[in-house]
Amino acid sequence: MIDPRDLGSVLEEALKRGGDFAEAFVEHRRVQALICEADRLERAATGLDQGAGIRVVQGETSAYAFTNDLSAQGLKAAADVVAAAAAAGHSGVVELPLAARQASFAPEIRRLPEDVPLEEKAGVVERANRAARSADGQVRQVTVNYRELDQEVTIANSLGFVAEDRRIRTVLALNAVAAKDGVIQTGYESVGGLAGPDLVDGDVPERLAGKAGKRAARMLSARPAPSGRMPVVMAAEAGGTMVHEACGHGLEADLAQKGLSVYANRHGEKVASDLVTVVDDGTLPQRYGSERFDDEGVPVRKRVLIERGILKDYMHSLITARKEGVEPNGCGRRESYRHVPIPRMSNTMIAPGSDDPGRIVADTRRGLYVTKMGGGQVNTANGDFVFEVAEGFLIENGQVGAAVRGATLTGNGPQALGIVDRVGSDLGFTIGTCGKDGQGVAVSDAQPTLRIPELIVGGTAHDPEGEENL
Amino acid sequence: MKATAVEVKTTELLEVGGMALEAAGAAGVDEAEAYLSRTRSLIVEVADQRVETLHQSTELGVGLRVFRQGRMGFAFTTDLSPEGLAATARAAAANAAATARDEFNRLPGVSPAEPLDLVDPTVRERPTASKIEAAMAIERAAKGFDPRVTRVEKAAYTDGDYDVAVVNSQGVRVSYSGTSVSASISVVAEEKGSAETGWSFAFSHRADGIDVDFVGREAAEKAVQLLGARAVGTKRVNLVLDPLVAAEFLELLGPALSADAVQKGKSLFAGRVGEEVASPLIQVIDDGRLVEGAGAAPTDDEGVPTVPKVLIRDGILQGYLHNTYTAAKEGAGARSTGNGLRGSFRGTPEVRPSNLYLAAGTTSREKLLSEVEEGFYVTSVMGMHTVNPISGDFSVGAAGLWLEHGRFARPVRGVAIAGNLLELLKGVEAVADDLRFIGSAGAPTLRLAPITVSGE
Repeated sequence: MIDPRDLGSVLEEALKRGGDFAEAFVEHRRVQALICEADRLERAATGLDQGAGIRVVQGETSAYAFTNDLSAQGLKAAADVVAAAAAAGHSGVVELPLAARQASFAPEIRRLPEDVPLEEKAGVVERANRAARSADGQVRQVTVNYRELDQEVTIANSLGFVAEDRRIRTVLALNAVAAKDGVIQTGYESVGGLAGPDLVDGDVPERLAGKAGKRAARMLSARPAPSGRMPVVMAAEAGGTMVHEACGHGLEADLAQKGLSVYANRHGEKVASDLVTVVDDGTLPQRYGSERFDDEGVPVRKRVLIERGILKDYMHSLITARKEGVEPNGCGRRESYRHVPIPRMSNTMIAPGSDDPGRIVADTRRGLYVTKMGGGQVNTANGDFVFEVAEGFLIENGQVGAAVRGATLTGNGPQALGIVDRVGSDLGFTIGTCGKDGQGVAVSDAQPTLRIPELIVGGTAHDPEGEENL
Repeated sequence: MKATAVEVKTTELLEVGGMALEAAGAAGVDEAEAYLSRTRSLIVEVADQRVETLHQSTELGVGLRVFRQGRMGFAFTTDLSPEGLAATARAAAANAAATARDEFNRLPGVSPAEPLDLVDPTVRERPTASKIEAAMAIERAAKGFDPRVTRVEKAAYTDGDYDVAVVNSQGVRVSYSGTSVSASISVVAEEKGSAETGWSFAFSHRADGIDVDFVGREAAEKAVQLLGARAVGTKRVNLVLDPLVAAEFLELLGPALSADAVQKGKSLFAGRVGEEVASPLIQVIDDGRLVEGAGAAPTDDEGVPTVPKVLIRDGILQGYLHNTYTAAKEGAGARSTGNGLRGSFRGTPEVRPSNLYLAAGTTSREKLLSEVEEGFYVTSVMGMHTVNPISGDFSVGAAGLWLEHGRFARPVRGVAIAGNLLELLKGVEAVADDLRFIGSAGAPTLRLAPITVSGE
């Protein structure tokens, strides 16, 4: 790996024909993946991916180039490419020597990937496979995916600092397929964190597998979900896809600055119910979206985005922060050296409230109780969002009733968050890979148990008589 | 005319591939395969008629698959030095030791592939200034379409060229090159507090194969026609799917048509060859030799020649897609259909469609729409990635135009459509003659039997 002190000359090279700002992002990534399917360990893969992305920013134009050649010569060649792309003009100066940045926290990695033998990791995958298959007699197929990412990054820029980080992320994900009488259903569970292989120590594989296997079987006898507008209670264990879609993306400053967000220009305004406080916090120990520095070398911090319904902050990259004249808040992230950093979420959550979670269902006469959310999507320009209900139940007279399947919930961000009327004191996380502009980054999302009095449930069971037959 | 230059580029990859096989031999494996690719790309993103990002890159890497006593291991690297290749070979061999033995773990042998013309030398020769102008032209076309098109999220022109080589210890030694050009835009139209979005995309292997003005206008039209959209009451009506939406649904069938999913009991189509799985109007074809599609290539990523395959004929399921492994496992004379494909050198060859499309029908789009008494013409869907390809259950957000007496009555958004992919296929009532590709998937306008539209 290149000596960070040598990056100063690469930055000078990049700025030689003009530009306000130059940056070098050097990455050395090792991955290990194991996949068990059809009751046997089918894939074992290892990868070494290394490269550097060089960026020059001039006014509002960015030139970016990347290379897999990390020699001094290779980096200089990439710097030449961006220098040639930057139009002649004002030339920024590189502040030398580069000073090392300090992070606000240190991740605790109990076991490093290289210290755990491959056989032990294979054993985890095989245990999860067996546990899912024995969870229910109707489980027909199980796919277990184990992934480790060990990413070392060095980020230097012409503002005169250099940040170094090593991010180790581990994920265990499991998909169980159950079948009966020609009906196929699935159950998915995953755990992931800024952690080493110790993340799956103990009975983690068995617990995860049991949940996935049982859910797949339970969904076989679920009825079609209802359709139409109704109250929805989301359990904490359902995860945080709703907050991620309903307001997370819309609070990313690049979208807001371009007027592509329903939350644009609403700083200090009421955008949600008094009960709603939204936080994005990249410093949470072991959480999947955590890291010490963002991918522009800015120390990551906790950001309160919405406080008791009032919009307080947006998520910024260096470029959007400069445009707005605010301090960068550590949200400039990228998938790899092949990508330009843009404002992204890390661990996004609705903060817990004071309601007893059990009372929220009990106080709901009819509606849908969501216990597992899947993926989602949002149109930030108008705030319309959807998310998948991976497991749901009807609520009948304050009781959890029959399981239902095949529903998406559709709503509008400011409208839905504006009418949240119950917020529980619990909190549940899910992990995911968030996609934006073709880049995937590790995130987690969390919510307490909460109630939205009206969302559109997109099921297939339609009764023209209306909600009395939910 | 640039054939010599192309040969030089792929010769170098074939040489490195040979070195990788030697490194694998030294690591003590029985069989090995190296897949190498070099990709150069340029992306120009503009907004408000100025360049926002100019992104240039060259990427080179190798993926090495090895077999030892019927066990398979894989490793990839971007370090092509002799030491880098040796370390990769050792990692692949160590991975092989961890996996289960499988008698069907095999490499394909040599079979000659007809070349395919995927190279347009003018793509590389075109000056960067002209590529920037192309990106700006997309944006101008969108804004010029209607004054209510107020914002452009991103207008992008992308092009590139690539070289691919596959070598294996069974004597396979294939290589090819290609060029690509694409245009995309996503816009917002605004009026009286209503903000709606529209997008469009075009791809070609040839520089003159995309119409940047069309891309800009189409995105603008999609956004403008939704202005003032609202949800409707929950109702069961006919659906009409725009070709781009129909192609998105078709792509969801890709995993179910894979022999790997069938063999593992994860496919809706398992055990149904010869049965009616779709409306008799439906023909589904996978064709890696179709140069209009982004998935065109003379061979798949195991070096097996690509061929056209009819997967569903007149609604009857004909067969599945295979790679070398699934064909061996199937036995009974099954052969790879040339569908062993990878996302990049970072992955193993898995069964995937190349260019998957639903063949055009004979009805005009206008006639197909005019026959709808009450229906929903869907122009955009949200949350397609949440559809479960194993169960086939789908429930997605949708926007488009409400149809009454064969005419567009009003714009609709914030509703959901739900059902099962198999029911959707069986419910196709009409197939229009306007087949269109979006990347590697293609479909015409489709009219479907009534399904539930969930709204107010």
